[in-house]
Amino acid sequence: MIQTLPHSTLLRYVYNELPAKELREVEAALLHDPELATACADLLLAQRTLDRLRLEPRQATTDAILQYSRTFMVG
Amino acid sequence: MDLLQPSDSALISLYLAGQESAFAILLERHRSRAFTTILLIVRDEEMAEDLLQDTFIKAIHTLKSGRYNEEGKFAPWICRIAHNLAIDSFRRSKRVPHVSLTDNDRLVNTLPMADDAADDIMAREETHSRLRALIQELPAAQKEVLLMRHYGDMSFQEIANATGVSINTALGRMRYALINLRKKIAANSHHYDSNITPFDTASLCVQRVAS
Repeated sequence: MIQTLPHSTLLRYVYNELPAKELREVEAALLHDPELATACADLLLAQRTLDRLRLEPRQATTDAILQYSRTFMVG
Repeated sequence: MDLLQPSDSALISLYLAGQESAFAILLERHRSRAFTTILLIVRDEEMAEDLLQDTFIKAIHTLKSGRYNEEGKFAPWICRIAHNLAIDSFRRSKRVPHVSLTDNDRLVNTLPMADDAADDIMAREETHSRLRALIQELPAAQKEVLLMRHYGDMSFQEIANATGVSINTALGRMRYALINLRKKIAANSHHYDSNITPFDTASLCVQRVAS
């Protein structure tokens, strides 16, 4: 296993939180380290799965909030 | 960035200038994340609906009274309010939820129907139900980071600040949360549809590298 990057760096890469310079380093490492690429893919899969899990409140709740906003006056 | 979509900051300015329709867009844009965050914590749909109202009422008060900090981002701010209210409520109540997160009825009614066959929707809903159950099984610290990052739009640094730990601890918790979740999903893989657990991981790598 070549893996030279700490897992924290990989995680920040997956979540787009790396500065540009480090981002390029990670992308270069991914091209040369298949195990790192697989670890990255696993994180991306988990991330994508979680992103699909979204719930919506009832329309009545949304309407109540909008009604409150329309009638609220700053005292 | 989509130039046709006004930024949250622009919508807030319009709202404060009296345009209620701007607030409606903000609500439409952020209600799902806030609601999901709340529901994953309190595990009670009625309570989650109430807390979502409380969240946005709090936001309305802060915005209209001029106390909103323009420098902050709206998405993490609103989800932070939602998260805090949910945690407070959960700690206060400690009661058995009325409706389990594995209850399917709600999502079937709210999922978009346009492009999906009914079977696909049912399969996806079953998967989502199981996923929500698996998230509940995570250790509390891992679940907290996962919710804040995924549904609260908070950066790892912001999460570290909010939870009083170092960024490396927050990252470590997130990493174990994802690893644990993946293991649990793999152990339950016969329950998951192929749209949510694709097998070709290599293509995902290429996609991310190219973006």
